[in-house]
Amino acid sequence: MSGNHSAATVKERAELALNDEFLRKAVRFTTERLRNGKKNASEEHGNWDEWRERGRQIRLHTIAHLDYYLNLFADNARANGAYVHFADTAAEAVQISLAIAARKQAKTVVKSKSMVTEELHLNHHLGTIGVEAIETDLGEYIIQLAGETPSHIIIPAIHKNRYQIADLLSAEAGERLEPDTSVLAGFVRKKLREKFLEADIGMTGCNFAIAESGSIVLFENEGNARMVSTVPKTQITLMGMERIIPSFTDLEVMATLLPRSATGQKLTVYMSAISGPRRIEDADGPDEMHIIIIDNGRSLQLGDPEFQELLNCIRCGACLNACPVYRHIGGHAYGGTYSGPIGAVLTPALKQNVAEWDDIANASSLCGACYEACPVKIPLHDMLVYLRRRKVESGHGNKWEGAGMKGFGGVMGSSRLMRGVLAIGRLGQGLVARDGEIRLSIGPLKEWSRYRVTPVLAKESFRQRWGTIERELREGLSELDPAMKKRMEAMKNARAGEGGHGHG
Amino acid sequence: MADQTAQTHEQWLEEMDRKAREKQQSFIANIAGRLGRETAKPPAGHPYKGAPSFWQGFEWPMEERIERFSANFRSAGGHVVRVPDLAAASAFIAEKAKEMSAHYIVRQQEDALEALGLEEALPGCDVSVWNDDPGKPWKALAAQADFGVVLADHAAAYTGSLAVLSDKDKGRSVSLLPTVLMALLPVDRLVTRLGEILMPLDADGREKLPAGVHFISGPSRSADIENDLTIGVHGPGVVYVIVIG
Repeated sequence: MSGNHSAATVKERAELALNDEFLRKAVRFTTERLRNGKKNASEEHGNWDEWRERGRQIRLHTIAHLDYYLNLFADNARANGAYVHFADTAAEAVQISLAIAARKQAKTVVKSKSMVTEELHLNHHLGTIGVEAIETDLGEYIIQLAGETPSHIIIPAIHKNRYQIADLLSAEAGERLEPDTSVLAGFVRKKLREKFLEADIGMTGCNFAIAESGSIVLFENEGNARMVSTVPKTQITLMGMERIIPSFTDLEVMATLLPRSATGQKLTVYMSAISGPRRIEDADGPDEMHIIIIDNGRSLQLGDPEFQELLNCIRCGACLNACPVYRHIGGHAYGGTYSGPIGAVLTPALKQNVAEWDDIANASSLCGACYEACPVKIPLHDMLVYLRRRKVESGHGNKWEGAGMKGFGGVMGSSRLMRGVLAIGRLGQGLVARDGEIRLSIGPLKEWSRYRVTPVLAKESFRQRWGTIERELREGLSELDPAMKKRMEAMKNARAGEGGHGHG
Repeated sequence: MADQTAQTHEQWLEEMDRKAREKQQSFIANIAGRLGRETAKPPAGHPYKGAPSFWQGFEWPMEERIERFSANFRSAGGHVVRVPDLAAASAFIAEKAKEMSAHYIVRQQEDALEALGLEEALPGCDVSVWNDDPGKPWKALAAQADFGVVLADHAAAYTGSLAVLSDKDKGRSVSLLPTVLMALLPVDRLVTRLGEILMPLDADGREKLPAGVHFISGPSRSADIENDLTIGVHGPGVVYVIVIG
């Protein structure tokens, strides 16, 4: 599931990432590039918050009436000549896809980028019935050759350098390819051209589905999604059930928000609206088109006031680029199909197994940068807190942490106990403190002191000083030091002459 | 499996469709239930449809549209030239074909492109007309072409995008498979906003929609290898827009 990174916890996976110098630099560089692109594009466009609000409202409206809009979409897509299927689970979606592939006696399937098929592990399942699935997005193709999974929703091979890529592609080419971007991309173009032309089935994801016209809309830069939906005789489109928007009119808002938020482009190189298979007299386009609409845990969010807005997500990746945690540990550390802040919330939400994924919710600084970046204003940082709360409520909290918090509450609630504990602490720290700092990393201080220094307790606490401070304040007000009193009066007299506008 | 192969493909599709419609009932009922109602009902209205109102009336004068379209298309790595008429457009394409040693050109079957007279302008070139003979393998022919020549149906200046619509005479492959794309854009087809192209698609209705509506905003590109921009990964790497008028 997480490529070569099979460590059990976020922390272990993050350790792997933090040890990989190239990965860390590449992730930082890429996320900076995309984040700055987004910043410039949204500033140049102007009124960004009003567009965000508009995007949010359209998504809220559609999700609130998802049952109606899905029916409308299915009716119109069928009227266009497409076959529309519904799958409650990943297994059902896989079964439908395999049934079509088997019926078509397909040998190869060419795929354009689709996060949903990653959710389903569809390539693996196709392989079990002897169908070769070929990823055709350049980045996806590279990581498929490496046998890994995407580490960024927009730039999936962010963690590979050109030498690693040259090695992978050379093995495929059967000859040594120079680690030069244009040479490598040129090889992929040629290689995949053959694949497009001979493939039996083209498989796409779906950025948006338009209810009123039954169209699917694809955003891309390379042209491979167009290839996949133009050349093979059969097209299968997999879409999460929440991809719906009502109309082409609404698409203008999404087309304004998505590319700018993802890469800073005004529009992706290609935006295609595909409405059914080819018309009878057309000389290209698929003869047969299947659309598989997938729930796979999404409906669990419906009617849940804390998480329903997750379904508003348009999969732009802006929250990844904005997230200080993602920028340090990269996508594989999250361990699921979706990474970054959206992945930290979406993965447990889709799987409804808070316990197993709990550590992801903790891999967040709750700084809210994800919310600020989100083009449809999903309150991801709040959702991370809800997740943590649910984890504790469902009894999956850390027992020691719970006991510690309870003890802390008891001590803090009693001035007598607090005083006693501080007194013991001041005595105890004498053994470990040097120059006002504690660098010891054992026991409860271990994790903290690995990266930071613990300051010592003050010789005299605020509480101990409070009596003196309060007395000084009270007495000071009634009985000023004569010299100070004189100075203040002089200042007051001087101000009176200036009309009170002086600000020093 | 044995009885499945005995089915005709149509029977199999019908069977799949029947199952899908059955499944749809429970699938939608689950969503409706989660949303707190028994059955799906149409919403009372869609109060936030489309772009914000301040955006709706926004329009640039024609000269500014041409200027902005060109600037945007160029910054995406494309080329834009402006010519007075079809004859000049034909001369430009012929000149580029010679310069790049193009041997094989495929063009859409449209009157304006017919009027270019590319066959006469380029006697050494093989010029095919999309789908003039339904028996030919058109996708493979387009894939071999050096130049694809299309007439843009619309263009939006604000994003620097062309829009091409498919039909029997206008292949989706022609703007996708050749190495170089030459797109003619009559100046009166250039609008300011994307919405001016999208909203009429709603107004015209589903029945009028072609199978493919494609917006094109430059040459095919990727930054998947070390963030290094690569042009022409799958689609045309060289794209010329010839603005006419």
